[in-house]
Amino acid sequence: MSENPGKKRIQDRDTPLIQAINNGQVHLFQDLVKRYERQLYNFGRRLCGDASDAEDMVQDAFLNAFRYLKNFRFETKFRNWLYRVALSACLKKKRKSKFAPERELSLDEFLPKDEAAIPTELPGWAAQPLDQVLTQELSDTINEAIVELPENYRMVMVLRDIEGFSTSETAHILNLSEANVKVRLHRARLFLKDALKIYFDQA
Amino acid sequence: MFEQLSAYIDSELDEVTCRDIERHLSQCKACKVCLDTLKRTVALCKHLDEAPVPEDFSNRLKHIIRQLALSST
Repeated sequence: MSENPGKKRIQDRDTPLIQAINNGQVHLFQDLVKRYERQLYNFGRRLCGDASDAEDMVQDAFLNAFRYLKNFRFETKFRNWLYRVALSACLKKKRKSKFAPERELSLDEFLPKDEAAIPTELPGWAAQPLDQVLTQELSDTINEAIVELPENYRMVMVLRDIEGFSTSETAHILNLSEANVKVRLHRARLFLKDALKIYFDQA
Repeated sequence: MFEQLSAYIDSELDEVTCRDIERHLSQCKACKVCLDTLKRTVALCKHLDEAPVPEDFSNRLKHIIRQLALSST
């Protein structure tokens, strides 16, 4: 599960900037904000399902990152650490608002009930070139379906399939086992696949 | 097999399991369609556009950070 088991010092493009900030050039923190605000804002919109909550999340994440950057030990990529900080800000806020208990997705609900209804022909949306299929309306539909995912599944899916983190990195950010990440990701993808099927069946 | 399709897409399975899945897929159209639609679902998610950060929020955030940076030096 550990992303960096030997605790090796990780160097990436953010390293010189963080070192400069921690060595007193605090004004350079703005460069980190410029580098990551758009990614974090989109992450927040998908996680919170709301632009205003996403703004709160981004602001809290950067304020906490500013406050705790001195404690950053380069044992992970800065981007991974920042997402962990952002998630923690988001979850803290949600706990305060007393969210409803999370629904679990069971694999059974994605198994076809009627064998005769199982498609054996590839639908057009899976066969045509991607750029012809991905319209603005479809993007909106996918984003809405992502927000409908139960939170535990949504966090994994967004980190893996949209933000591009590996299974190991996602496990580290969410403090889950890799096996758990894989199970949740698969169910989340099946949920979205069903949402796409419904969208195209109705089109 | 159904529960391993995502791990198969992500190349996270061992060689023997991959071969078993491929053997099954070559004979089962329904599972092949399920795999291909799942692959397309993942590809669509990976290609979603990113919204721009609202300008007023971005300016507000940078102002707050500037103030913080000034007060900490």
